[in-house]
Parts: sequence; C-alpha cells; structure tokens
Amino acid sequence: MADLFTEKVLSAVASVKHLPREQIAADSALQELGFDSLDTTVLLFELEKQFQISIPDEAVRSVRTVGDVVTGVARIIAGASRDPETSAGEP
Amino acid sequence: MNPRRVAVTGLGVICALGHNVTDVWSALRDGRPGIAPIHSVDLSQLRFGNGAQVCDYDPGKHFEASRTDLLDRFAQFALIAAREAVRESGISLAAELREKTAVVTGSSMGGQSSQDAGFVELYQRDQGRVHPLTIPRTMTNAAASQIAMEFGTTGPAYTFSTACSSANHAIGHAFWMVREGKAELAIAGGSEAPFSFGMLKAWEAMRVIAPDTCRPFSKNRRGMILGEGGAMLVLEPLDSAKARGATVHAEIVGFGMSSDAHHITHPSVEGPVLAMRAAWRDAGISPQQIGYINTHGTGTPTNDLIETRAIREVFGPHADRLAVSSTKSLHGHALGAAGALEAVSTILALREGWIPPTANFLDPDPECDLDVVPNHARAAQIEYALSNAFAFGGLNAVLTFRAH
Repeated sequence: MADLFTEKVLSAVASVKHLPREQIAADSALQELGFDSLDTTVLLFELEKQFQISIPDEAVRSVRTVGDVVTGVARIIAGASRDPETSAGEP
Repeated sequence: MNPRRVAVTGLGVICALGHNVTDVWSALRDGRPGIAPIHSVDLSQLRFGNGAQVCDYDPGKHFEASRTDLLDRFAQFALIAAREAVRESGISLAAELREKTAVVTGSSMGGQSSQDAGFVELYQRDQGRVHPLTIPRTMTNAAASQIAMEFGTTGPAYTFSTACSSANHAIGHAFWMVREGKAELAIAGGSEAPFSFGMLKAWEAMRVIAPDTCRPFSKNRRGMILGEGGAMLVLEPLDSAKARGATVHAEIVGFGMSSDAHHITHPSVEGPVLAMRAAWRDAGISPQQIGYINTHGTGTPTNDLIETRAIREVFGPHADRLAVSSTKSLHGHALGAAGALEAVSTILALREGWIPPTANFLDPDPECDLDVVPNHARAAQIEYALSNAFAFGGLNAVLTFRAH
C-alpha cells in the first residue's frame, strides 16, 4: 500500500507546519514549505512515533524534499534490522 | 567616580575534569577530556551514550545528610565551587562586608532532575503526591539562595536562566555591580546537573548530541556532549584586593550582551558579533588587543560555522592572529554552568600562560579556518581574552578578561 504510506507521510508533513494537506506534494522542497531544522526535527519525531522506527540524527540535514522523507522512511521500515545507521541506542 | 577595576580573587570548580581548580587545570593543560559513557541512566534507552559527568562524587563528603535533602545536584555543585572560591580568596566575611556581598548564579535547568524524579512518582507510580521538597530543590535560584545562606551574605542575590549563556550573564552582572560600586564583593558563576533520564531524552529529541565525542571546529564534528558541574568566581575591587594582599588571578574588564531576535534555536551571525563588540568596547580596548577567545564552540555543525563567521566579522584580519579554542571538548557543554567553567578556564589560561586546546580535533573544516589550538595546549602570554556564550533563544553574553 505505497499510496497509503505516502499519504501518511505527506499528512505528517502538513500537520507539523499546520498547512493544508493539498499544499504538500512529493516534490515539494521542505524549505519552501517553511521548514527549518527545528521543524524537520519535529517532523522526524512524529514519523518515528507513527511508524515505530528510529531515524538517524543526520537525516535532519540530509532531507531536502518531501520525497526524500518518503523514501528515507520507507527504506528504514524495509531494512531497519539490516541498516547499521538505524541501530541507534548504542554508545 | 571613575569605574573601579575588578579583580578575580577566588576560583572554584567541580566538573568532569575534577573536583577542584588544581585537578581541572591539570586536565585542561594536558588536553585530557572528561568525556565517557554516561553512568546515571540505562543507556539501552538512549540514542547517545557519552557525556561529561562528575565522577567519584559522594555528596556525603561535602554535606550533612539533612542538608543534602534540600539540595539538588545542581545546587550541590554550586555550593562546592563557591566554598572553594571563597576559601581560596582568603576573604574574611565580616558583618559589614556580608551586607555588601552579591551572589549571582546561572542555571538553565535548575533542579529539574529532582522534578523529574518527583513526577515519576506522580505519573508513573500513581502515588498521587509529590515530595514536599520538590519545589525548593527545583527552583533555579536555589543555588544563589544556598550560597547566601552558607556564607551569611545579605546583599543582592539572584539568578539568570538564559540557557547556555546563564553563567556569563551572571558573572557579567556581578562584574558590573562591583565595578559600579553597587557591591564590594561578589560570588558569581553557574551550575548545572542535566543527567536525569527525562532531560537526556529531551536533548536526544533535539538531535544535537554527538554519538561519539565533542569535536569543535573539526570537519566531521557531529554535535555537542552534555556536561555538568559548577564554577564560581570571587570578584572584588582591585584596590581592595591589593589592600588585603590577595592573590589576583585576573581582572574582568568588559561585558557585552545582545539578542539575535532571529530564531529560537538557530543562531545568527549578527547577534554574536554585537555581543563581542560590546564586550571589548565595555573594556575600553580595541579588538587588536585581544589574543585569545574561549569560544562557545559547542561542536554542532551550525554553531561552529556561525561562530567562525562572527569572529571573522568582528576581528577582520586580526582573526588570523587570534588563538581560539573550545574547552567544551574537554568539560562538555554544561549549559547554564558552561560560561562559568569557561571563565575559570580562560582565567587560568591567562594566569598560567598556557592556552587550553580544542581536544578531539580531527580534520580541519575549511569553513572553520581559525587557529583553534588543536589537541595540544600552547604556551602563550596573553593580555586580553574573550569568553563567548551564545544561548538557544539567541541570547548572547561575552566576557572580557585581562591578565594580571
């Protein structure tokens, strides 16, 4: 259900900045939607909660578009156990 | 009346580098970081693992049990540092002087570890009640009040809570009071103890803590390392210090403040520029006279870049003749105590003729291209030094010190 998944991510993006859902597209640049690094941090927090995943800190600086967020979250969900980047919690 | 010169005649400190000035200086001078795995919480529930905690600490060695009940860890650190500073200053606190002694402390979080523990009872264990000492332990002014009670000082006493600039605001205002004749003595500094589980989780969520260590100005820096501790200075008019034959460690000669008015967490270049300019102007010197800056230098990608740009803007070509270092790479970022730990570091650098290094330094970052004194202390006789503090919330406070 890729569409439902994408829809959830796009809704989270809209919710963090209190924007209408229709304003968010996969190719929207986060910066153009008014996101700064603190907003992105909040977005990652909401996505971690919603999908029960752990997103590495570096993502705050590496994601540029909503599409980057969708792909990044999908990759973490698919490979959480294999991706050493997401095995946070170790010293 | 001409403004009075202000001497620092007492120093006290407890932090990850040691429990007194001698031990802390030895670690600073050797570039030996106090960063290690956090021992206060279950690390399996935390994304980062390292911190700069005070080790081998037993409150019972410093306080009666009945006193400890009233003291959150942040207030204990403040008292321990104040005791050392007052003792080492050799000052005799006669009744008349006690009335004219100010106590000004800084703390960002105050005793929130006590509050955290109290609310576990309420929210998690469903006890329906919170310990009656939660408020007196938690309030950020507890440290100032406890110091005043300890020494019986009845002059002005208050607390600044301006996040990571708290201690610089505290020391700066105490300096101004002594300079302007509003106080004959001041005990000023800051303390912090942020290693409770709730606060660590809050910092984790900010995504600004390094997974490894604090590497300010390095290309591959990944964030800050939290620290804890307390540091206090005893300030008095230089003439009084000389008259009683006190040891003068250094002078405080200037203080400058500004607000970014920009963003609640993202710093601007302009705010730090204004604060540094105000700090040397308040000292009545030119920027070319400054030889060393103890930077804010948190080790986050953003701070170190912005701070480098701000220093270049303030100092122009002289920026390339400055030594700058971040002692947060050694004692961690102790938030509201940071400015006080760094004031002690800067004063000792001036007094001892050695600049403490930026530790844990790897590859240089072309965008942070100042002389950051990487990894090894450097012998240097410096006359004037700045100590920067740039807080979340964009509140900047910079102190100017002079060797004596």
